[in-house]
Amino acid sequence: MKNRLRAACLTYWVFLCVYAQADEQVYLAPEVFLAEAFGTPPPPTVLWITAAIQPDVEKILGHPPSKLRQRYWSDGIKTAWILDEIGKEEFITAGFIINNDHIEKARVLVYRESRGGEVRYAAFLKQFEGAQLSDQRRLTKRIDGISGATLSVWAMDRMARLALYFHRQAQK
Amino acid sequence: MKKLTLAIALSTALGLGAGPTLAATIEEKIDILQQELETLKAELVKLKGQQQTPASAQSAEAQGPSQGSGISFAGAEGSAAARNAIPGSSTLGGYGEMIYNNYRDGDVKDQLDFRRFVLFFGHKFSDRLRFFSELEVEHALVEGGEGAVEVEQAYLDYRINDAFIVKGGAFLIPMGILNETHEPPTFFGVERNEVERRIIPSTWRENGMGVHGEIAQGLHYDVGVVSSLDAGKFGGPDVGIREMRTELREAPAHDFAFYGALNYRGIPGLSVGGSLFTGNTGQNGVTDSALKGVNARLTLWDVHGQYRLGGLNLQALYARGKLGDADQITAAAIARSGNASEIAPSAFWGYYAQAGYHIPVGAEMEVAPFVRYDRYNTQASVPSGLNANPKNNERVVTVGVNFKLHPQVVLKADYQNYKEDNSKDRFNLGLGYMF
Repeated sequence: MKNRLRAACLTYWVFLCVYAQADEQVYLAPEVFLAEAFGTPPPPTVLWITAAIQPDVEKILGHPPSKLRQRYWSDGIKTAWILDEIGKEEFITAGFIINNDHIEKARVLVYRESRGGEVRYAAFLKQFEGAQLSDQRRLTKRIDGISGATLSVWAMDRMARLALYFHRQAQK
Repeated sequence: MKKLTLAIALSTALGLGAGPTLAATIEEKIDILQQELETLKAELVKLKGQQQTPASAQSAEAQGPSQGSGISFAGAEGSAAARNAIPGSSTLGGYGEMIYNNYRDGDVKDQLDFRRFVLFFGHKFSDRLRFFSELEVEHALVEGGEGAVEVEQAYLDYRINDAFIVKGGAFLIPMGILNETHEPPTFFGVERNEVERRIIPSTWRENGMGVHGEIAQGLHYDVGVVSSLDAGKFGGPDVGIREMRTELREAPAHDFAFYGALNYRGIPGLSVGGSLFTGNTGQNGVTDSALKGVNARLTLWDVHGQYRLGGLNLQALYARGKLGDADQITAAAIARSGNASEIAPSAFWGYYAQAGYHIPVGAEMEVAPFVRYDRYNTQASVPSGLNANPKNNERVVTVGVNFKLHPQVVLKADYQNYKEDNSKDRFNLGLGYMF
């Protein structure tokens, strides 16, 4: 009986280890996200975070931007942005497709935090669709939070607002 | 190559500081360089692809995007990419709160207290293995038995997959709403709610091991075996079993406890869950020899829910506990303290309901008025022949407002009215932060 239990435990452990090797917490490959947006993605282009727009970026993020330039993809009408922002202690990588100053789609590509992973689910992300940037740089739609995932929700909100702001700048 | 690097660095520096016309020209030049780099990169990837046999190409694909052109290609540039590439990094965070209590009863001391100063340290050994800790200083100073320096959490998490994460060390018991999420900007009211202080003894942590994870979309479980409470430390029935916490210091290990929690957070704005903690607390009389051989089994459970609809924020919780051998715990407590009112409950319970409304102000500020009703009885049932203190069967109404200067910085004001014990009626002001 004991041997059977040991064998069962060992089998389960081996299964978990093998299963674990395939799991990288990358929920959507960037290439797939871009293909969802454009079919065949256009070549990337760059938006410079110049001294003129840096204060606005800082206001949206609540901290200075960590980059001098932001890469994005555009087919002339809509733009796609892949952004990173810290939730509690890890970066969340999220993708936003902006069309006519509206969020067309929001996706979580990589989630690294230990709690709050519900932000990657469609039920949460759908709330961003149709949202615009208000004059006060808030989203025009209210985003319902997730209990226990407050910091991840805030990070997603900041990235959504930044993508809308960047889109506006890129259209200029 | 060096010249090129220097030119790019110089151009970047000038780009930030120079006037718009000059900046645009330099930026355009760097943009061209960037485009050329992209073309070269693409060609390199193409060449590499041609060198691979079809079998090895397939294997590279199976290894996932982080091995190939995934994250780095995606534009997760700068710090995020660097962080992703270097497993093994430390993080720092924290929260704190200052609280002013002004009691209506002139005989009760008003106070302005820096209640908590907490520093959070985390370390990521690898993508799977992480360390979390919180170190807390209570009441700003430790002197003459007052104040405390406490390890609030210190545990390792090993993630096998999203559904199976093993943790070991000192961690918070996943009971109720507040115990695990108690940073000041995340809850209404200057003081934490009474039920999650007197019935669920938040902040409640134990040493032990557990397994947690997400088994279906938004459905989280957390189960484990931990050190139990110590009935030999019972005191102050107005705070229920709170004094029985060992607070991790040389926790007696004769009796262990089991905990389990299940929470659903799959629908935005909604969170429902429940939890259970059960175990003996006699600890073979290690703290009070009068309890040698006494089981003193404690079983505590709760159900809770939160719902946000637009600006409306609703929250409710019910918790109930049962303590075995309350007569022997009481006899031991009275003998220790000489105080005949130290009567341990054989049953205790409480619930609260709360409603708040979030009103955005400007770009990031918010005003949120709220009202909460707490109902609890820390001596719902006492050993036969003894009488419970009616003041422990309490109703509290709290009305106040949270004002967020920033999503992570809050100013609070509220008034609390206690129906049974009027000496507790008070006006509170608070200031809290988290980062």
